[in-house]
Amino acid sequence: MKRRSFLKGTLATGAAAVAVNAGLLVPNTVLASWNKDAFNSKTPEDALSTVYGSSNATISGDIKLKAPAIAENGAVTPITVDASGISGVESIAILAEKNPMPLVCEYSFAASAIGFVSTRIKMGQTMNVVAIVKAGGKLLKAEQEVKVTIGGCGG
Amino acid sequence: MSIKIRMRGKSKDGIAVVKALVKHPMESGVRMNKKTNKPYPAKFIDNVEITVNGTKAVDAQWSGAVSANPYVAVKVKAESGDEIVISLTDNTGDKGSKKLKLK
Repeated sequence: MKRRSFLKGTLATGAAAVAVNAGLLVPNTVLASWNKDAFNSKTPEDALSTVYGSSNATISGDIKLKAPAIAENGAVTPITVDASGISGVESIAILAEKNPMPLVCEYSFAASAIGFVSTRIKMGQTMNVVAIVKAGGKLLKAEQEVKVTIGGCGG
Repeated sequence: MSIKIRMRGKSKDGIAVVKALVKHPMESGVRMNKKTNKPYPAKFIDNVEITVNGTKAVDAQWSGAVSANPYVAVKVKAESGDEIVISLTDNTGDKGSKKLKLK
């Protein structure tokens, strides 16, 4: 009887250990997917070629990039990228050209999502904001200049 | 420490707008502390995932250049009553998630 309960105990802890291992593996894979090279790139071209394998994007009128003409506070610049007019949007990236690390964020979409993103970004100085949309294997872009009166990257 | 999230969502004609407001410092690791001349350590959300009824719809990667207390809005194909889950991870391993039933 004692032997049986002992076995049961070891089996249970064994199962728990496996579960913990599996649990630990999940966040590791999630962290590994963060594209470190792209986010640490110093130029928009480098960032784009790291994320999409190419930095050649054609300007498209179908992307609606909404950004303020003048941002009073560069630390909070509202940006909206609306590519819902384009079918099969796979990914949207937002870049701030002159930031120390230009790539701000990159969204990838499954079929159940629509190519639309609205967020707020930090900008160090007056510069172009570039929205890149990947649809059907092609890179499209839209850009707009935002005048920044108070930078949002310094201390 | 879990990350606090406020989320709203509304479906109209099969398309839902999901908005989330997250409480997070989003420290990029570049900003200098002028007293010590060292940068503040980086702490920013790097992974964002939005699912509709358990299937992944949007997967985003962020850098420290997303504003502090980030706001994000996306559009997904979902009916009212569908369940939307947003989950976040930051570079130090902190996590947060929020569930919402669409109106």
